[in-house]
Amino acid sequence: MGKPTVGIFGLTGCAGDQLAILNCEDQLLDLVAFIDIRDFLMGSSGNDTGCALDVALVEGAVLTERDAEMLRAIRRRSGLLVALGTCAVWGGVAALDRDADRARLLEEIYGETGHGYDSMAARALHEVVKVDLRITGCPIEKDQFLAAIAGLLNGDLPVYPEYAVCTECKMRENNCLLIERGEVCCGPLTVAGCNARCPELRIACIGCRGPLGDGNPNSMLEMLEKKGIGRRQVEDKLRTFAPIGAGQ
Amino acid sequence: MSTIVIDHLARVEGHGGITVELEGDAVSNVRFDVFEGARLLEGLVRGRRYDEIAPIVSRICSICSPAHCLTSLKATENALGVQVSPQTDLLRELLLRGESIQSHALHLFFLAVPDYLDRPSAIAVAAEHPAAVMLGLRLKRLGNLIQETIGGRAIHPVNAVPGGFGRVPSADQLIAIRSALIEAIPDAEAMLDLIASLPDAGFCHTPTAYAALYSPDSDRYYAGDQLMIVSNGDRATVPAADYRSLTNEQPVAHSHAKHSTFNGNPFMVGSLARLTVNPSRITEGSATASGRLKLSIPSDNPMDNNKAQAVELVNDLGLALDMVERLIHDGVKDEGCVPVTPRAGTGVGITEAPRGLLVHSYTYDDQGCVVSADVITPTAMNAASLEQHLRKTVEQSAERDEATLKKKLQMIARAYDPCISCSVHLIRR
Repeated sequence: MGKPTVGIFGLTGCAGDQLAILNCEDQLLDLVAFIDIRDFLMGSSGNDTGCALDVALVEGAVLTERDAEMLRAIRRRSGLLVALGTCAVWGGVAALDRDADRARLLEEIYGETGHGYDSMAARALHEVVKVDLRITGCPIEKDQFLAAIAGLLNGDLPVYPEYAVCTECKMRENNCLLIERGEVCCGPLTVAGCNARCPELRIACIGCRGPLGDGNPNSMLEMLEKKGIGRRQVEDKLRTFAPIGAGQ
Repeated sequence: MSTIVIDHLARVEGHGGITVELEGDAVSNVRFDVFEGARLLEGLVRGRRYDEIAPIVSRICSICSPAHCLTSLKATENALGVQVSPQTDLLRELLLRGESIQSHALHLFFLAVPDYLDRPSAIAVAAEHPAAVMLGLRLKRLGNLIQETIGGRAIHPVNAVPGGFGRVPSADQLIAIRSALIEAIPDAEAMLDLIASLPDAGFCHTPTAYAALYSPDSDRYYAGDQLMIVSNGDRATVPAADYRSLTNEQPVAHSHAKHSTFNGNPFMVGSLARLTVNPSRITEGSATASGRLKLSIPSDNPMDNNKAQAVELVNDLGLALDMVERLIHDGVKDEGCVPVTPRAGTGVGITEAPRGLLVHSYTYDDQGCVVSADVITPTAMNAASLEQHLRKTVEQSAERDEATLKKKLQMIARAYDPCISCSVHLIRR
């Protein structure tokens, strides 16, 4: 059997998950020995844009009709479609206010020229096509990406944490920013996998990996309200990277 | 009429294309098309608190995320009257050096060099020249080591916040960076040899205006509040607060990136502009590097931006080593962040991102929440200049076949190192 064929694609976003792949400096040349990257616009000008792919890795959110068409075309030619990063999995920062009046925003920002722009509220990939695997993170963590590739090469899907950043933070024996300093730390409601990167630096978690499936936001809102932090501020922070109700 | 269309530019960050319309051999129209979706982040940060802004706007672009983060902090701190410590300034400068090393290594080895060797990608280059690609990977990794150590993450730094840093680097971490920088000295030499060995790419010549952060006595990406534009030998400075007189942006229908002009003329930002605006940046080491690459300043050839990046890479490595030595010698204090008290006000931050001048400006209300935001990115500033150089490329080409023209057009576009996610910025007029 030949090497599995892979495509790496970006919809609207910051290209951070493709960059995270290119940042695997110690593994990159090994990686291309095991997989056959056929279509990777950011990395190559010699792409096969129509071939069947065993795996498509797709980052970014769907913000334009062009994005949606590109994503459907990728889905049609791919065996497995992997959503790469928080924008692809949840919608990301562009989805932080999906109810905003886009026509008004476009006009404010671009004037009359903005009227003709192809622009819609950000959607996660699974809101447009079937997604087979979700690797979250803003950006993705390299070890989780490499584990996914190793798993897929062996006919398996990787298993990711289903617990909170809080758990990782406790394992690192950090002082609690939420309880001890009254900071709006999203750790209790955010899915782990970053090894509590921010609280380890004494910075409150901003939830960039997206929400935990069975988190309890009401409990956190009540606790912070007792400390004098308003509901609105906490809710704003909690929906920065994932709109409420997305991803379920 | 005939048309040359590059409908999806490869080996650049983001989604863009090029359209050139010809009447016979004469160019009637040139467009750098941007079809990256508009994320409208400027509108979306409105009402958010001062400490939430940098992490949101850093998501404009991954490669330039430290520059977006720090430019945002600089603007916010100016608006709120926060003065950070000299140690914070130095660590921020070091973070931007790490960013520049990573970004220039990525651009030179993975995006630009394959064209000169007639290969589609660095992976294809690696089949014949594995050492060259491994060299690029080592330099890239070193930039990322600095970004991870100072910023807490290579992409979208988490450790830089209003007033300072969450946790400052330990002595051991700084010593590890120093060792890596010393080990990279031969790599910098090998990089210059490689870039010097590439075939000449002098197919587009035209006088060009350049703009950059002006730092008269030192080499800075972070500190400074003066812009300078150099055009036909004339130099004009603009205070950061008056940045709009430089950028004077206009929305255009074919792109979500607004176009910038100064007195109606396009200007270029980036490595070549920095070397042109700040001759004091030409240190002994970079003068030697420029000589080896046959780079003369001022240049009328946009392809020289690739050489200028190589010169800067040598400079960045040397300056990063100086900064790390200084931090190790003086000792890094765990000084905590300067406290921030919300107040109403407007602040502008300007820095040099790897691709050039970056401007953020925010107005805050008395609760410390954003009333309006304005972000002007290097790729947006470069768009008008790029279109001018694309036009000249076609006009000056003796070969008229479409394949050759397309290749030249793409090489020019890549020399600008466009960051198309960045270009879709979000200005409130």
